[in-house]
Amino acid sequence: MAPPTAYLASVGTCLPGDPVDNATLAKLVGVDETWAEMFIGNTSRYFAVDLATGQVRHSLADIATTAADRALAEAGLEPGDVDGIVMGTATPDHLMPATVNLVADRLGIDNVPTYQLQSGCAGAVQALDVARTLLLAGRCATVLVIGGDVCAKHLETDFDPGSRTSAELVNYVLFGDGAGAAVLSTEAMGEGIEIRQVLNRLVGLGRAPGQVIDWFGLGDRHSDRTAVFEDYKAIEEAVPVMAGQMFWELLDDLGWGAGAVDFLLPPQLSGRMSDRISAGMPAPDARRVNVVRTVGNNGNALPFLQLAELLRQWDGPGRAIAVAIESSKWIKSGIALERS
Amino acid sequence: MTEREPVAVVGIDCRFPGARDAQEYWSLLMDGRDGTDRVPEQRWDADRYHAVAPHTAQEARPPGRSNTVRGGFIADPDAFDPGFFGIAPREAAAMDPQQRLLLQCAWRAVEDAALAPQDLAGTDTGVFVGVMANEWAFLQLADYDRITARHGLGNGYFMGANRVSYHLDLKGPSLAVDTACSSSLVAVHLAVNALRAGECDHALAAGTNLIMTPVINIFYNQAGLSAPDGRCKPFSASADGIGRAEGVAVLVLRRLSDALADRQPVYAVLKETGINQDGRSNGITAPNRWAQQQLIESVWQRAGVTADDVRFVEAHGTGTLLGDFIEAQALGELTSGRSGGSVALGSVKSNFGHAEGAAGIAGLIKAVLALHHRTVPPSRFADDENPRLDLSGRRLSLLRSPLKLPSGTVHAAVSSFGMGGSNAHAVLASAPRAVHRGRSAAPGVFTVSARTPQRLRANLLAQADALARRPGNQLAQLCWTSNRVKSRLPHRASVAAGDLPTLVAGLRKAAEHADETAREDGGRRGVPSVAFAFTGQGAQHPRMTASWYRSCPAYARHLDEIDQLIAPHTGVSVRDLILDGDAEIQRARLAQPALFAVGYAMAATLTEAGIRPSYVIGHSIGEFAAACAAGALDVADAARLVARRGALMEKLPEDGGMLAVGLAAAEVEPLLAGRARLGVAAVNGPRSTVISGDLGELAAVEAELAGRKVPVRRLTVSHAFHSPLMRPVVEEFRRECADVSDRRPALPVFSTVHGRELSGEETMDADYWARQITEPVRFAEAADALLAGGVTHVVEIGPRAVLTPLLSRLRADGDHAVSLHSAHPGEHAPGHRPQELFGELWCAGLTPDWDLLYADADRVPRRLPPYLFDESFRSWRSGSAPRLVEPSASSVPPGADTTAVPSGADRGESSPSASAGELPDSLAALTRRLVCRVGGHDPAQVHDHDRLHEDLGFDSIRVMELKTRIEDALPRLGPLPIEDLLASLRTVADLVGYLRGQLDDSSVTPVPVTPEGTR
Repeated sequence: MAPPTAYLASVGTCLPGDPVDNATLAKLVGVDETWAEMFIGNTSRYFAVDLATGQVRHSLADIATTAADRALAEAGLEPGDVDGIVMGTATPDHLMPATVNLVADRLGIDNVPTYQLQSGCAGAVQALDVARTLLLAGRCATVLVIGGDVCAKHLETDFDPGSRTSAELVNYVLFGDGAGAAVLSTEAMGEGIEIRQVLNRLVGLGRAPGQVIDWFGLGDRHSDRTAVFEDYKAIEEAVPVMAGQMFWELLDDLGWGAGAVDFLLPPQLSGRMSDRISAGMPAPDARRVNVVRTVGNNGNALPFLQLAELLRQWDGPGRAIAVAIESSKWIKSGIALERS
Repeated sequence: MTEREPVAVVGIDCRFPGARDAQEYWSLLMDGRDGTDRVPEQRWDADRYHAVAPHTAQEARPPGRSNTVRGGFIADPDAFDPGFFGIAPREAAAMDPQQRLLLQCAWRAVEDAALAPQDLAGTDTGVFVGVMANEWAFLQLADYDRITARHGLGNGYFMGANRVSYHLDLKGPSLAVDTACSSSLVAVHLAVNALRAGECDHALAAGTNLIMTPVINIFYNQAGLSAPDGRCKPFSASADGIGRAEGVAVLVLRRLSDALADRQPVYAVLKETGINQDGRSNGITAPNRWAQQQLIESVWQRAGVTADDVRFVEAHGTGTLLGDFIEAQALGELTSGRSGGSVALGSVKSNFGHAEGAAGIAGLIKAVLALHHRTVPPSRFADDENPRLDLSGRRLSLLRSPLKLPSGTVHAAVSSFGMGGSNAHAVLASAPRAVHRGRSAAPGVFTVSARTPQRLRANLLAQADALARRPGNQLAQLCWTSNRVKSRLPHRASVAAGDLPTLVAGLRKAAEHADETAREDGGRRGVPSVAFAFTGQGAQHPRMTASWYRSCPAYARHLDEIDQLIAPHTGVSVRDLILDGDAEIQRARLAQPALFAVGYAMAATLTEAGIRPSYVIGHSIGEFAAACAAGALDVADAARLVARRGALMEKLPEDGGMLAVGLAAAEVEPLLAGRARLGVAAVNGPRSTVISGDLGELAAVEAELAGRKVPVRRLTVSHAFHSPLMRPVVEEFRRECADVSDRRPALPVFSTVHGRELSGEETMDADYWARQITEPVRFAEAADALLAGGVTHVVEIGPRAVLTPLLSRLRADGDHAVSLHSAHPGEHAPGHRPQELFGELWCAGLTPDWDLLYADADRVPRRLPPYLFDESFRSWRSGSAPRLVEPSASSVPPGADTTAVPSGADRGESSPSASAGELPDSLAALTRRLVCRVGGHDPAQVHDHDRLHEDLGFDSIRVMELKTRIEDALPRLGPLPIEDLLASLRTVADLVGYLRGQLDDSSVTPVPVTPEGTR
């Protein structure tokens, strides 16, 4: 019997509430609109927290459930059809229970293997990797893959606008909340898009983390460690290189030429940086799918938002490559899709 | 429909030991929990009838004793909500609790199917109830002297199905089925056949079993079938007999094609069912391997499945060594040649015992839920499998842990065998995939209704809890379902929302205020009559009702239509101006047609939704849309006239203003003397008048009034409307109106030109519209006349609440019981205001057509938690051997039913008794007391507006009884003609009124009523 094939059956996404534009950020947290536009390039983002009141309106479980439910509906499946769930997030609602299991409960899924990967920007690809492995091993026939992040915990809403440095304000402009999900199946459901390859490599040996998100408990809650740290300089230097390497590795693996790639889903950092990395990547003729400018950097959700956009644009046969780089302890990852 | 058409299971409600509903049942099964317990004290004294079984077969078993003190008992079998079904408490107390529980389960199962039970009323829906226990009758009907009409009708056995048909008004086949332990699966079989034969389109298939006496325990013990620990241990080495269990369950079944066409959620599909008989087998109670085998084989064949297709079998599995052996043999004959792995085997009897009349449906529901959840629960005692059954050799595997089913179509089978040899078997399949996506982020209004404020609170919280666990993108579908299923009861709450967290928070908040809700079911005020009140100029604002345009497709359609009629006369689209938020909308030239367009579209939307006006009133420019709604003016004419009217007025010099003053119109008149360029523009209330005219003269009046400390307020207007300054345009406008046909209005119009209702001959002709420009708006007088005319609801049609506060003051002054609503309160109205308004109108007793608020993709039924009934009423009859009845039980005089509420002295029976209050001090109190006495109601719960038949459950027998009571208490009346009583009695208040008419109230000296239970 031939080994099964893994198909991308559907994608669903959820962005909480209404988009928050730069003008609103300017009003609520004192961000300079022009500066935001020029240096970061994001024009809007979504927050699970109401910035004006500080009220948290959605949990990660809420938006991940909605995204997953949409993906299932898109695939024409019901929760009972799912026989495995893999979720990636850097910002779980709790350390325990894992958010993936709360999502399963909300969807009415039980008695299936579930995994939650503690992950950053490469999380979605890592989750897809685990899911695909489950399918190819014959362990599952239908796997739900979820990625999402909410940064409410890191957004202070009750400070005096104008009292913040631009370094602190970057985070408000750059990040956002969201969730995405995909259904993977051994059946050629949906648009018959085959997941040809998923790669995923840690490349952080001896390299200082480019991004740190800390967590605090009773014992160290008064510690003066920074909750969120980013080495933008290192990110700016390393990500384009790693993205290029991952692109070529996928192509070599599949024996594809760069000219045969129809769509390219580049790493999403900020609107401005993604455009730059996107332009600098190989396969100049491949159509670029960038979304971060309008949805904000919502971490584990981003690749799903790119995939959703890809499915909207993609007609007929073709090939697509997606690359995601995680700058925490440095992971490069990518997927190759093909429709014949 | 075909002969073999599959039948969908669309609704479930059930109560089993350790499980109060289907959800808890599923948890019990998945957790592999034990639902058995010691015999509750309320049932019988377990120790009294207990004796340890003899150690050897030769020893005689002690007579009248059971070898166990355990069994599977449901919680609160004595609770019931009689008022909900319009059943008098005394009648409920005289009903077999099986009937009571069936009624509630039936209601909930229909709701679970995302249907309103009221929508099934009058249909050919069938009711098929499997029942074998008749223990209530054994207890209740043993004393011949105490048998009454009530008790006869309360007999569970022969009225069980008919009760459900009666109270839900279902007109299809209705039968109780007794084939001993297979009764409820046989009932399902008959229901499937009736659906396939087209005898009914919906069927309620049910099973019930309550253990009220130890009779069958003693029988099982004597027959050597009773497990000492009261537990069935099917297919286990430790199997040693039957443990008895209770259960009540109702399934809602439909032909699969019907269910799919209605986009109804389907739990699972019944592919085929069948029944047969052992015939003359090896003893009437002995199971028969060949009969079982033949039945299963034939059902599988008709279903088109083989052992290879069947993933699991829910076995009869009583846990007797012989029964298990024969069942394993019969099944093994079919499964042993199976390719692939073995068939999973289990029996729910391992969880709580043998539910007898409800056993088949317990197994069926387990299989249905397993297919729905795509997981087969484990069977208890499976880790101690009986090796002599050779299950693995027969390719049967007792499930020790849950089995996850694969995706795609999966088949299952269920067996239920009767002690007398009647066997039943069913083959099921997983439901076909049917996913219905709704529009994302579509708003909705969620409706919850209940019989009492207390129940409203409980049901609101139950819905909130369930919704909090749902994915966020089904909001509109969930709301639409609530409108369809949960909007028919008198106490109501609605919450409009655009996202799920807001909805959940809103429901919780509504629960806090549930006590304040009034009863709204038409019973209070009779048929509602609605007036539309159309707002005048000044209410316009940029983007007015843009949210309606976005969230209500019908409004968008009507606004588009009217915009097309207006545009040729204005040269621009007022719709576009509105949606773009253009400030130009404030100019008279555009404000007047825009207000007309908005008013017209809103009225058309509400009318389309079934909120039809019986009267109209309009303030100034609002009279044009009012005239259209009343059919007095052609819409195209109106569109042209409002555009012309606005344009003419705008051309006038902007040298006028308007001043609102807190004085009566008569007090204003002297101020106008000698000021020719001023006039009264509007009389909005007894102390609310508007003066309009020349700015200079207005300033003088303003200064004078300020000196007198009279409250005044300048209105923001471009012109002095309804003032002498308007005279220059009157004649031209009259010419413009010349060709308007003077149609008689189809509805009463309360004219604000005349300050009264238009009389028979009056029309809204050219002269009327010409006068309207300079005449004061006599709103107060016209509105007073409207309110005095018996209108029940006024809806202000317009983009802001302007008339509503004026009406509110007039309502208070005139003490009118009218409910006031503003269609769109103003700029700050929420984005889902149409949804909110529909909810508001419904809470006030109107019945909107909810479909209008939803796109087709959102009109998809979704399961919501079913109704939570009131559990405060309790009634039970404990089991005791007839010969042990205490003498006090017979102290109730013969014919007790008509004279005594079941009293505390009556051993083993409890029910609410009418409280012994003080002597009645008026005819009304006396009447209410007698009503409570006859019906057994709690006096605190009986109100004047309660309807004797519908709310209090008085049938003709009860009315006769009431008549006798009244005649006894009021001997002066003499005999009352029963026809009179029946004809004039609708509510308690009617009865009081009738009696008052028969008596001179002041001279009544009622005969003191002896408190119940003390005679």
